Amino acid sequence: MKILLVFAALVAAACGEQLFVGDQVLRITASNEEQIALLRVLGEQVELQLDFWRHPTSPGHPTDLRVPFPSLQAVKIFLESNSISYSIMIEDVQELLDEEKKSMMTSRRIERSTSMFDFASYHTIDEIYDWMDMLVDDHPSLVSKIQIGQSYENRPLYVLKFSTGGSNRPAIWLDTGIHSREWITQAIGIWTTNKIAKEYGRDPSVTAILDSMDIFFEIVTNPDGYAFTHSSNRMWRKTRSINAGSHCIGVDPNRNWDAGFGGYGSSSNPCSETYRGPYAHSEREVKAIVDFIRGHGNVKSVISIHSYSQMLLFPYGYKTAPAPNHQELNELAKKAVSDLAAVYGTKYTYGSTIDTIYMADGTTIDWAYDNGVKYSFTFELRDTGHYGFLLPSSQIIPTATETWPALLDIMVHVLEHPY
Amino acid sequence: IPDSGHKYYLQFTTEDYKSGENAGSCLATVLYPNTKSPPVVNIKCMHTKDQKQIQEDDNRLYQKIRHQTKPIIGNNIPDSYGNIEPALEPVWALAVAGSSYIMWEKSTENLGYFMAQVKSVKQWIRKDDFIEFDYTVLLHEIPTQEILSCHMRLTWLPGHPLKVKYFCASENQGLEDGSGMESGSAAGILHEKGANF
Repeated sequence: MKILLVFAALVAAACGEQLFVGDQVLRITASNEEQIALLRVLGEQVELQLDFWRHPTSPGHPTDLRVPFPSLQAVKIFLESNSISYSIMIEDVQELLDEEKKSMMTSRRIERSTSMFDFASYHTIDEIYDWMDMLVDDHPSLVSKIQIGQSYENRPLYVLKFSTGGSNRPAIWLDTGIHSREWITQAIGIWTTNKIAKEYGRDPSVTAILDSMDIFFEIVTNPDGYAFTHSSNRMWRKTRSINAGSHCIGVDPNRNWDAGFGGYGSSSNPCSETYRGPYAHSEREVKAIVDFIRGHGNVKSVISIHSYSQMLLFPYGYKTAPAPNHQELNELAKKAVSDLAAVYGTKYTYGSTIDTIYMADGTTIDWAYDNGVKYSFTFELRDTGHYGFLLPSSQIIPTATETWPALLDIMVHVLEHPY
Repeated sequence: IPDSGHKYYLQFTTEDYKSGENAGSCLATVLYPNTKSPPVVNIKCMHTKDQKQIQEDDNRLYQKIRHQTKPIIGNNIPDSYGNIEPALEPVWALAVAGSSYIMWEKSTENLGYFMAQVKSVKQWIRKDDFIEFDYTVLLHEIPTQEILSCHMRLTWLPGHPLKVKYFCASENQGLEDGSGMESGSAAGILHEKGANF
């Protein structure tokens, strides 16, 4: 009975209801058969909605009774006027349930990180890095983990490589978490990489893509920042590099690329959230990707994932001049956004960065584009400001689910338009 | 508009912050003068709810807060994971409303805001019927991406406009790793804002 109750309360709580506020559990001790009979009659009053945890059996044996708040007074008067002794075992059932729920969630998190990963929660770096190893273990012929460098604080920069063979095949690059406070993105990174691994051999598009191309996915692109959002400041955006001559820390990794570096779309002040850094690629986290993509030589698309705003952006951010294949990118964005909206109705706007959001220089996709990567996009995921960076974890799976067709649209287009 | 400024014509719909239900549509013009003085705004809205319904909703919110037996206090609403304690939702809702006053004053043609989080809230019990809260709210500034920390004192009684006093400082100015929230000019000027629009 108790287990059912806890389960029901959990389900109700998950639905946003509070079922047991103010309810009490009374321990009643009937002293004779007459009182037992009275208790049974009491239980039969349907409108009181009484819930016996331990039924009245015989005198001297306790009867445990959960009384909903609205019935409390009536029940206590009944007991007292019949001289039936009782005590309050649980003062407020809801409080107890809340505590239990909390501790259950904690233990669930610990269990699931090793056996069944909880995609609907936000995870720490260690949990993500552990999970990456599990993914590789589960799909050894498809997925491998490579290290492309180290962060400022010497954390490894890991990239998941999806490949069915070949040698230096044309590739698609995706990154999440470059701005550490955008937690929905790292969460999407986990879900999406898992999805890619699962769908190879099942989904025709994923299979077609991976049969000719490789996918590289960096989930925790700014690990120092991410660790900092867990330990100290949930709103941290930048890297954690020390700036010479300033007490302010960090460079905006999405203003540090060598594309229009140093303009009005970034700041020269180390204390600013859009500080561009002392020079382009000064950040290890950025340099590692630059070196990787340059070294690879065959990357055909870069998709960088951010939040929030619900936008799909393409170059340029540093200048108003349209990209040479603006039309094509615009059409592709239009299709992707439409397929995204088809899932839950989530509306995105799209266009060049400078037209759609604001002027931004030294960005990832502008650099990629200027270095020959024709299909470069930035996603700004949910929401539009209601929760902003603090998107509830209940929205992780819906966000991942709706973004998936949009990502696929881009990847399929890249596959079908080799260059 | 040559020699005058930039004028924007806006048509937009509004939605209930909690339920997402359509709450009406508005037509507005906003003129930003070249002189950088505050914009001239003309706005006309059609509400889907009638006055009576709005009054009832306000009263319900008010009663929910008044019925608490202890002064309400809270931190990090929503928390890092986006969760809001159901008991603190009304307080969060009031913070959103109060923050919108701050944003209304601070926004410019090139700077916009969202309320990112209620860092802390403390209720001040008053002898009269007004409810009063002391907030620290974090505002997310676009396009600078800065997080502003605003101290906001909010007073309200249904049927009366929200009264908001505030003082904002950038989280970043010289502060690192939670070394306290004092900003340089601690003798801050409190801005007072009553609704007169």
